[in-house]
Amino acid sequence: MTDAAFALSLRGVTKQFGSTVALDSAGFDVRAGTLHALLGENGAGKTTLMRLAFGMLRPDAGTIETYGTAREWRSTADAIAAGIGMVHQHFLLVPAMTVAENVSLGDRGLFRGFDPRVAADRVRRIGAQTGLVLDPAARVADLPVGAQQRLEIVKALARDAKILILDEPTAVLSPAESQELYSWLRSFVARGRTVVLITHKVREALAIADDVTVLRRGRVVLSGRSHELAEPAVINAMIGSAAPDEMQWPMADSTPGVPVISLQHVSMTDSRGVQRLRDVSMEVCAGEIVGIAGVEGSGQHELLRVLAGRLAPDGGSVRLPARIGFVPEDRLRDALIPTMTLVENLALKEAGGARGMMQWTSYEARALGTIREHDVHTSGVRSLASALSGGNQQKFVLGRELEGSPDALVVENPTRGLDIRAATRVLAELRSARTSGVAVAMYSSDLDEVLSIADRMIVCFDGRVTDTPVEADAVARALLGLS
Amino acid sequence: MSGGPLTAFLEAGVRTATPLAYAALGELVVERAGVINIGLEGAIIGGAFGALVFADTGSVPLGFAGAALAGILVAALFALFVVTLRTDQIITGTAMSMLGLGLTGTLYRTMYGSAGASLHTPTIAPAPVPGLSAIPVIGPALFDQPVVTYALYVLVPALAWWFYRSAAGLALRAVGEHPEAARGAGISPDRVQWAAILFGGAMGGIGGGTLVLAQVGTFAEGMSAGRGFIAIAIVVLGRWTPFGVAGAALLFGAASALQTLAQTTGWTMPYQLPLAFPYVLTLVLLASARARTAAPAALGQRSA
Repeated sequence: MTDAAFALSLRGVTKQFGSTVALDSAGFDVRAGTLHALLGENGAGKTTLMRLAFGMLRPDAGTIETYGTAREWRSTADAIAAGIGMVHQHFLLVPAMTVAENVSLGDRGLFRGFDPRVAADRVRRIGAQTGLVLDPAARVADLPVGAQQRLEIVKALARDAKILILDEPTAVLSPAESQELYSWLRSFVARGRTVVLITHKVREALAIADDVTVLRRGRVVLSGRSHELAEPAVINAMIGSAAPDEMQWPMADSTPGVPVISLQHVSMTDSRGVQRLRDVSMEVCAGEIVGIAGVEGSGQHELLRVLAGRLAPDGGSVRLPARIGFVPEDRLRDALIPTMTLVENLALKEAGGARGMMQWTSYEARALGTIREHDVHTSGVRSLASALSGGNQQKFVLGRELEGSPDALVVENPTRGLDIRAATRVLAELRSARTSGVAVAMYSSDLDEVLSIADRMIVCFDGRVTDTPVEADAVARALLGLS
Repeated sequence: MSGGPLTAFLEAGVRTATPLAYAALGELVVERAGVINIGLEGAIIGGAFGALVFADTGSVPLGFAGAALAGILVAALFALFVVTLRTDQIITGTAMSMLGLGLTGTLYRTMYGSAGASLHTPTIAPAPVPGLSAIPVIGPALFDQPVVTYALYVLVPALAWWFYRSAAGLALRAVGEHPEAARGAGISPDRVQWAAILFGGAMGGIGGGTLVLAQVGTFAEGMSAGRGFIAIAIVVLGRWTPFGVAGAALLFGAASALQTLAQTTGWTMPYQLPLAFPYVLTLVLLASARARTAAPAALGQRSA
């Protein structure tokens, strides 16, 4: 096989950020006309590898080739000119601009005209050719995420991309949208183009990709044809020699105790006048995990905040215990101040009631206890919250909220963005809290996850809640308002 | 050209608006690239001084070239810190204002002596446009002005075209809205911001040069008199569009021209009152929430 058979080759690529080695002489070959899945846990180096391929970063060592030609990117413009397109995990779109303007972005020339009609025609032409149909005049801020992703792909195609790199494209898509994207990618590959799919979803990767490469800690640990690889082998390669103990979860028996949180006929209307909760009555008892499911916007966001005492309802009565822990889904926005140290972040929880001098020595000891007890990997309690990986941030938030044995714990999407190992660890923490008698309410948009951990299930639909069995079919029906 | 007090008022309004419009249009380009140049005042006073030095040779066009050059020099220093060295825009801009004011004052006294106030430069005379300048009331205001004012009539639509109808204008706006998205499209945000800041400096310099070469005929320490800050407010009032900025500059010009009107009509109002009007308007504008919505999303953010 000549090198030209590879659309993209990275050989011996090394990249260091400060003292952290992100990539350690990684080699990655993508056969032309195939869909290649790049697998790995968070921080394994997948995105770094692809940013090198796309010219957003320069390698410290190693070479890049496209179709057998050695390349040295000075900027993304070079990579784009060579036919590489990249769809980033966090879309790189200008929200205030139209679809057509976003597609034309990157056209060259100080006085080269930008004609909205020509740009719109280009968007329509690509839509007609590829089935990725978009309204050229729509403002990006008004587009749903699925359409924004289509726009990212159209942008790459407008630059005549032959190699398309997608970074975790299905993270923001519904299952149906993911299927649609996957079948489109297959048809793109069938036309002789090449796709690199960065993902941590093993099953999906094996189902859709021709080839699979697994990265762990900056090294390539497995590479091969997907039909020759078994799922357990790939997972093992991703997370290391042995799966963590927590992967097998013995569910200790626990008899629910007295109701700790209780809502009676609660209703709530948000600031825009939309009724979010309608006549909700529910309880969370000591020593049980109540799983909560709901399609986006069904009222679960408000329900969790009422349960946690963060939001006062307009009507009905709420009985809450004195001590409630709350783990919101966006930890860097709602739970931690990234630019403060762990000690400061711990102290913040009580800052509203603090008077006089701060007892930093005592907070430091408590922070140290929290990171030890909850296995938070950090260089110390004086390191900034932003310096921790997502998994360790989440473990720290959870540990802080569990500190001083609260009566209840409310958690929202606690494993979002975490890799398998960290997610497992977080779920284990929730189980042990339940076993020790904490009343736990947990919402997750991942139905399998919430079903695996809940003692009881509650499903939100249109601001109302329904009790359902802990069973996928029943929950799925309730999610759609059927019963 | 004689006329009633209204004619004189309008003529003074356009005259006062001209340097403001130059500075504000330059700042508009800078802000659309996501940078707020509080140091514009420094470019204006630098331009005024540059105009003085170069026009000493006897040539008005050379004076304007010197004004633009001086503005570019001040702006280059600002760009070096803000874009290349990633310092805070507000602090750096404030330093540039003070540097511009202090440095021109010192140079002026060193080069021309402390009693240099009697120094006169050649000035550019109004060039009435035949026919158009005879239109009653607005004719003298719009068409009996120096050539620098007429240049704005071309510049404003040209800038609007460039913003919305050129690939480079699109890139500039994208950098101001979402620099990462621009970078992903192969645009270098640093290069775009550098170019925008240098352009803004040249425009601010020409604004300062206009004060010297088309109006006062001499240089005075601190003669920019806060025009850099007014220009920043004009960009807000103009809601970040070229025509909006031109209109806002006219409004500010008219406000300060009220004092001319007051004098000619024998109006016994303290002249400080109309003078304070633009500043009050600035405050009211900056306090309105409506102004924020039109601002470039990444305005003032330190690039990563």
